[in-house]
Amino acid sequence: MKHYEPKLVCFSCKFGWGYLADEEEMRTRIKNWVPIICSGKIDAIHILEAFKQGADGVLILGCPEGDCHYQDGNFEARKKVLLLKKVLEAYGIEKERLRIELSMDPEGRTIPDIVKQMSDALAKLGPVRKVKERARAMTTARR
Amino acid sequence: MAGKPKVAICWLGGCGGCDEAVVDINEAILRVVEAVDIVLWPVALDFKYDHVERMEDGAIALSVINGNVRNADQEEMAKLLRHKSQLVLAFGACACFGGTPGLANLRTKKDIFDWVYRDAPTVVNPEKNYPLVKVSSNGTVLTLPEFYEQVYPLNQIIDVDYYLPGCPPPPDLIVNAFTAVLEGKLPPRGSTLAPHKALCDTCERNKTKPNRIAIRDVKRIHEVEAQTNTCFLAQGILCMGPATRTGCGETCININIPCRGCFGPVEGVKDAGAKYISALASIIDAEDEKDVRQFVDKLNDEVGYLYRFSVPSSILRKRRTGEAEEL
Repeated sequence: MKHYEPKLVCFSCKFGWGYLADEEEMRTRIKNWVPIICSGKIDAIHILEAFKQGADGVLILGCPEGDCHYQDGNFEARKKVLLLKKVLEAYGIEKERLRIELSMDPEGRTIPDIVKQMSDALAKLGPVRKVKERARAMTTARR
Repeated sequence: MAGKPKVAICWLGGCGGCDEAVVDINEAILRVVEAVDIVLWPVALDFKYDHVERMEDGAIALSVINGNVRNADQEEMAKLLRHKSQLVLAFGACACFGGTPGLANLRTKKDIFDWVYRDAPTVVNPEKNYPLVKVSSNGTVLTLPEFYEQVYPLNQIIDVDYYLPGCPPPPDLIVNAFTAVLEGKLPPRGSTLAPHKALCDTCERNKTKPNRIAIRDVKRIHEVEAQTNTCFLAQGILCMGPATRTGCGETCININIPCRGCFGPVEGVKDAGAKYISALASIIDAEDEKDVRQFVDKLNDEVGYLYRFSVPSSILRKRRTGEAEEL
């Protein structure tokens, strides 16, 4: 089997993760890293769009439970993730491809490890199964 | 007849309810018929497709197309009307978003054929006959339109100028749409001819909503006797109102049935189901992860509920199966 590197998108909350790290340097180590302010800000649409754009997995790093700067944004994110897993499965995307981790690491040293760990799990799953759309249907009749 | 704008009304993958909705505008239809020259309406009038084929491109002022596209015949008809029409109106939830038949995008064509022609308990098919696109019998070649691997909303097949959602669209919006076309008072192309707000904005029951809704589990409408004057969500009954465009006249709410989402997402939103997930997450009353899991486990057919009318136009469109199409 040829080497396959899964495409992982990692959202992380700036209040808990990597805020002391050099963002530029972190970016060189983590592909598709999206630091945000509060994991609760992530909408279900962002996650579905990531899969639509070809992501093999989405990882969300939020603050520890009970420790959200905005009271419970991280818990809201967890609720969305649990609701979304069922939707993803119905669309043929394994639920393991969406993960949320509530913890913290201001220096962000562990982020590359967590990303690698999930990437390895995704590599075992293989790429997301494809939708084979007809080329003909995609060329719509124009006025 | 000459000089009147030509109008075509056509059904593709729909149930006929949208055609009936046009008739349901009652006496207003007399004004419409007076003002236009109907050149095609398969469900009501005896015009032939080749009448349309013989017309010049752009000869039809407006084509009102309901239903989705699932087979080659529907695709051909949609493309023919597009070429012959100045304006195309996607009429009803199936044309706009795929509609309930679009739920079939969560299955493969093979699943559907196996069930319909082999496995369903009422099927007797000892010779294992499946529909074929082409078959020869006694020297005669018979053909059927090809059944596609998935359901398409109209705008994935042809350019659509205007959208009028609903299952079916309500009479007042139909009359408004026809009037706007006849008077040339149309909004920019691509607009949906319905209000921009969410159903909750116009729902009478909104007043009864507590400041914070918190629900511990979900009840389905047939499992409880729903109160007739209280917000469904406050009663723990899933109502698609927060993520659905208003304009339907709250016909379901008025007969004590929660919104099912036939008007599609509100203005500017692509995926109503995803928006609903964000709304629903915020009202789940849970202390910890275990509570949330319990809540989610009890949700029966979550996708069917959240995307009842909109799987083919949702962000993910179709189940990923990895299986090659036989096209």
